[in-house]
Amino acid sequence: MAEKTNTIFRALDRKAAAVTEFTMRQYRTKLSTWVVLIVGFLVISILLLFYVDGMQQGYESIDNDGDSADWDGDGYPTGQERVYGTDPYSADSHPGLLVPPVEPDPPEKWIDEDDFDWNSTPGAGQTISVGYDDDGDCNREDRTDSQKDSNDNNIPCDVVLQGPIELVSEGFTVEADNFVDEDPDDAAYAKEAIHRASILAIGKLGFVFIIGIFVPLFLATGLIRDEMSSGTMHYMLSKPIARTEVFLYRILGYLGIVWPYLAILVFISAIVTGLAGPSDSFFRFSDFGIWLSVLFAAMLATLVYGMLFCFFGVLWRYGVILAIPFAAWELGMALLSMGVPESSILRFSVIGWSLTIIDSAAMLVWPDLDIFIQMGLWGGGGDGTGLFGSSIEGAVPLNYFSSKPGLGNFSPFVSMLISTIVLLVQAAALWLVGGLIFKGKEIE
Amino acid sequence: MMPDFDQKGLPQTKEWVPEQNAPVILLENVSKTYGRIHALTGITLSLSGGVTGILGLNGAGKSTLFKILMGKIKPSSGQVRLFGTDPWKNPAPYSRVGFVPEHEKMYDWMTAHDFISTFARLNGLKRDEAKIEAERVLDFVGLSDVAHKQIGRFSKGMRQRTKIAHALVNDPELIILDEPLQGCDPLARTTIMNVIRELGRMGRTVIVSSHILHEIERITEQIVILHHGRLLALGNLHAIRERLDNIPHKIELETENPKQLAKTILEIDSVHGIFFPEGNILSIQTHNLGSFHSHLPKAIIESGQRVDSIDNPDDDLESILGYLTGGGRM
Amino acid sequence: MTLEDEAQAPAPSSIELDFQDVSYDADAPVKGQGRMDSAWGSSQGDEVNTAQVAPSKDTTGFIFEQVYQPWNGTLNPRWMRNWAILRHHVAGIFRKGHRPWSIPTRLFLVVVFIASLADVGLTLLSALIGSADLHSVWGVNRDNLYGHVLGFFPRNVLYFPIVAALLVGGVISEDRLHGTSALYFSRPINRFDYVMMKYLSVAIIQAMIVLLTLCLYYFSEIISMGRGWAWIIDTFPQFIAAFIGGTLLIITYTSIGLGLSSVSKGKFFPGIGLIAIVLGTKTLAIIVSQLFDREILYLLSPYDCLAHVGQTIIGTQPTYNQYSWTWSLASLVVMNALSLYVLSSRVSSMEVTRE
Repeated sequence: MAEKTNTIFRALDRKAAAVTEFTMRQYRTKLSTWVVLIVGFLVISILLLFYVDGMQQGYESIDNDGDSADWDGDGYPTGQERVYGTDPYSADSHPGLLVPPVEPDPPEKWIDEDDFDWNSTPGAGQTISVGYDDDGDCNREDRTDSQKDSNDNNIPCDVVLQGPIELVSEGFTVEADNFVDEDPDDAAYAKEAIHRASILAIGKLGFVFIIGIFVPLFLATGLIRDEMSSGTMHYMLSKPIARTEVFLYRILGYLGIVWPYLAILVFISAIVTGLAGPSDSFFRFSDFGIWLSVLFAAMLATLVYGMLFCFFGVLWRYGVILAIPFAAWELGMALLSMGVPESSILRFSVIGWSLTIIDSAAMLVWPDLDIFIQMGLWGGGGDGTGLFGSSIEGAVPLNYFSSKPGLGNFSPFVSMLISTIVLLVQAAALWLVGGLIFKGKEIE
Repeated sequence: MMPDFDQKGLPQTKEWVPEQNAPVILLENVSKTYGRIHALTGITLSLSGGVTGILGLNGAGKSTLFKILMGKIKPSSGQVRLFGTDPWKNPAPYSRVGFVPEHEKMYDWMTAHDFISTFARLNGLKRDEAKIEAERVLDFVGLSDVAHKQIGRFSKGMRQRTKIAHALVNDPELIILDEPLQGCDPLARTTIMNVIRELGRMGRTVIVSSHILHEIERITEQIVILHHGRLLALGNLHAIRERLDNIPHKIELETENPKQLAKTILEIDSVHGIFFPEGNILSIQTHNLGSFHSHLPKAIIESGQRVDSIDNPDDDLESILGYLTGGGRM
Repeated sequence: MTLEDEAQAPAPSSIELDFQDVSYDADAPVKGQGRMDSAWGSSQGDEVNTAQVAPSKDTTGFIFEQVYQPWNGTLNPRWMRNWAILRHHVAGIFRKGHRPWSIPTRLFLVVVFIASLADVGLTLLSALIGSADLHSVWGVNRDNLYGHVLGFFPRNVLYFPIVAALLVGGVISEDRLHGTSALYFSRPINRFDYVMMKYLSVAIIQAMIVLLTLCLYYFSEIISMGRGWAWIIDTFPQFIAAFIGGTLLIITYTSIGLGLSSVSKGKFFPGIGLIAIVLGTKTLAIIVSQLFDREILYLLSPYDCLAHVGQTIIGTQPTYNQYSWTWSLASLVVMNALSLYVLSSRVSSMEVTRE
């Protein structure tokens, strides 16, 4: 008995291999396949070029708190004068007059001198204390305890972070004591933030949206319809093979082209961002996880879209009329998921689920992503008085392209799992429906 | 090799066993309508073995009949059985069926050998087996020397033969050919006819459609005539003709001296009447063609006349259709 | 020699046939007379089972004088023939008997037409309510005129590009696929007229969606609010600018779409290609401008070039700040020129066969 089932499965395997192989060869002979794949490659290449250029140009270090300036012209930067308790706005009062006299610091020393020291993320509604006064301008001896604790949490020279009341909304409340973490390293932050934002943007919009929708639109819509209208479907259907099988194996052939293509593109992107990205060593290995998730999400998206567009093609001679508005709808959903990831309308899209996978992976690979965005948006609180408060370059794009998986209070891993299952169920359902419709179609 | 996909619930997982003693083709009261158009009306037909020609004018329902047999379209009513199985529901019987569609479009980018071996694998053959099988069938239709040329470069006749070769894979018991001779040059036509006759000799059930009686005559005498979606006649071509005994058959002899010949021919019992339509033509009417033909040679020899040609002008499709639909020769 | 002479020529005599050899059996070997028949006598009309062979003594030949009958009708002027093509395509949207646009395409056009009238409805509504606040939001003003034609969402995502895609989808490529372009070229119609009329008909149908609704919007404001000449003189330049912006939009989408239609065979490719170009370049440019604050890629996006030019001529707040609008205009010209070049070169080399 076991042997017998085995032979049936072998026969199925042979059919699957034959149709899949045939479909792949058929794609290879079509010029349009190559045009589509090359254009997709060009799109990703353009994005990578801009990325590499962005990484090469470097980012300017800004003196966020303005204490590298020598306002009174005595040769001592403001920060240094503050530490020694002299009047930064009077040329007659500077550390050089102290006994023993202090040499003036170069102004660069007072740029980016107080970087972020935020090592934990508050939970929902939770309040924590982080931060450390690297340059010592908060902990100056001449300041009173109440001056040191301007945020009134009884811990001198810290930053109070309050997590958002609802997990899904993004805003943190940041209240820092004056002169704490007020002049972060902009250049390093911007490079890191732009790097992460680029990976997310290329992954989400580049791979999952542009490649993930248009490649299936071009390649999968005619997968069965073209054969039906040209009459060549007769050759395949006059063999002992069920139509649902034909549907599935044709999709397998399409995936046989698209998945390796995606893998190559993602691999190239991973190499480029690994080499060009900010890293202590020669190569930045830590982003491989996120690239894997991009590949995974794009593979699932092309699977579901392939099934869907192929199904549209089977359903109706003018299946493309259904497919085109759907693609436009998915663009809307992609942009929506960047802004409002918890929106429930996203559950009615494919791309919403696919992007959840990348968002979840981002949280796993970069556990500090949340707090990283928040510190950039807060940007050091300006000069400590809040007058020059502005976010650091890179924080806004990173905030735009990253979003929390909007499935609710699940851990990233669970969100990823749920999204994967949903996408697979979508694909299976579309296969089933598509197969049934195909089975009921009369082929002229 | 692709991994196993869970095929549970699909018909193939149960190995298909043809019903014992079921006819190869069984149609019971099959009708097909497209809106108000009746493509087929109440066809009841059972075929097993031998070469059968399906005759009918364009639009008579030949292709519709084949598509129903091949499970491409669903009959509006009635039952279809291939080896006892409904082809619309279960494609398993196709392992024993070869089909040559009428469509001209083929996969032009493949070589004939590739095309056939790839599709042979859909019968469950292994890659190597499929290659050997492809060589065998291409040899059968006489294309082995161009087997590795692209189909796109083939002539029409070669394409038709490739299609036939594709249908012969796995040595099917039933072969359905939809207009296999259409558009072929005489040489290709002869080759294809020989192939079909050969298949008939090998004991296969072969169904060939055509709208030209003359073509079918060279292949087989067993015919089915369709007209306006109805089954008009079934059986041996000449037997059908003879069944129409109330309408005399016409036989035309061309001879130098028709009157001389007529004298001896009138002595044959089955002769009903004799006309002289024009100069050298002798037109004979008979109720019993078989008997007449057995007596004719003797009569001619007795008369000592030279006969230039013998013609049965009534045996073409149009005249038979005309008789069958009761309107005389159309 | 005339036909009468032919009749007088000696009739070809028949070949002698030994009927003993003639067999009607299905398995009969193909030889002799049978081979002759099977070789040359098997198409319709020659079912008669005789073979006629001219005797060798017959040495006469025939040459038939060829007389061509000139056609004495008058050919309609060129514009009239072209008008017939144009009418055939445009009228197909409305009724049967002309070019059969598919039902879903027509349905989509109706839906988009109604959806494009949304601001007309809102204008009428605000006039009815009589609230000046609401009217300043919904009524005719610079921003709304711009938005009617060049607004991104939903008009330039869900409406206009898809309309263009559906229209160009079948116009040239389907003709080539089915070989129906041969029907045109078998008549006194020049290739460029054929393409020109296809172009115009696609553009006219789009104009009904884009420009007609714009006019309706403007007139509904005049009627519902009882606007006088002063207002009209005030806003007419803006209206004209929006009209020009819409015309540019139609021309650009049609050029790109028909360019794609001429290079492809299928029905799917041009439509998908147009959507991919419009939405794909837009998405690409969004990514780059968001990430690196560089807008240069917007020059690749047809929609953004149109929007930039439109913003300038209508006079709304510009959203593209890194380069002058003339760059966008130049880019539009290049896009159109390229598409039209592809279109014309493809059409002039098009083989009039079924592909």
